[in-house]
Amino acid sequence: MDLLDHVAAQIKDLRINYNSGEGLSQEALAKQLKVAPNTISRWETGMYRPGLADLERLARFFGVSMMTFLPSEMGVGDNENLVALLRTARQLHPADLEELRKYAEFRKARSIFKGKSRPKPGRKGSRHK
Amino acid sequence: MNVQDYYEDLKRLARQVRAKYGLVTPRVLPSDLRRIYFSNGIEIDIWPYRLRNLRGAFICDKLGTTVMLAGGLPQDPLVFTMAHELKHFFRDRDLGLSYCDQSNMNRTLEIGAEVFASELLFPDRDFVMHMERMGVRRNQCLPNTLVQLKHWTRTTLSYAGLAIKAERLRFAPPGSLTKVKTWRKLEAAYGLRV
Repeated sequence: MDLLDHVAAQIKDLRINYNSGEGLSQEALAKQLKVAPNTISRWETGMYRPGLADLERLARFFGVSMMTFLPSEMGVGDNENLVALLRTARQLHPADLEELRKYAEFRKARSIFKGKSRPKPGRKGSRHK
Repeated sequence: MNVQDYYEDLKRLARQVRAKYGLVTPRVLPSDLRRIYFSNGIEIDIWPYRLRNLRGAFICDKLGTTVMLAGGLPQDPLVFTMAHELKHFFRDRDLGLSYCDQSNMNRTLEIGAEVFASELLFPDRDFVMHMERMGVRRNQCLPNTLVQLKHWTRTTLSYAGLAIKAERLRFAPPGSLTKVKTWRKLEAAYGLRV
């Protein structure tokens, strides 16, 4: 399973298992995230890759780390650098420290996602040669 | 190097940066600083989520050099924070992470970043020159003087920054300006927008 398929599967999994297995419809999730209803479907089928800001919002909505969307072999468990980095910031307000941790994860996700987008449907052959 | 020498060195660096990037007035805009960031390969992330005291953070590691800035900062605090984080880029890159909030303002590195930012936005020499032009002598600078100065120069250094500078350069007795909290009212009284 490649990275984008993994992201798609994770989104679907989180949505279906939302609220202790009660689940959430794609429309309801779309409403929460203020995106078009078919966007969720396209994320879940891997047709579109959600942007990093979308992933951050999804992570916040489901109350999970942004690293949830990344396969473990891509360094989800490798948080040594992150811990070392944040050790210096212990005197921050806990809420700010949490945001700094999320920002550090955001950076990591960005570095992994760089250049991993899929061509958007409907644009095939439209590139100038 | 003692602490005073360290701060003087940072001021020198700030003046060099101003000269290199053609900053010639005390009105330094976010676009000016973005240009400096861009030319040094520093990525800016505006963080749209709520932060308590944190205004900015600088991270330099194997993933790159990035500065996180609190979203929604007004222009003056934004410019100051960007200038502050720029000091960490020039001098503290090996630390990995630096952040700017209210809790760590006593550390020498952080005070140094404030000194650097203040000099980058409004060099002491220019400040003294403007004060002399306005006929302000030692210990005679009043809150209204700073309102007038900010209005004339359109500087993006905040009132808090101007007050610290005026006291440090002995244009005002210690505490006479830095304790003022009513800058907006003074602006209104001066006939400026509130």
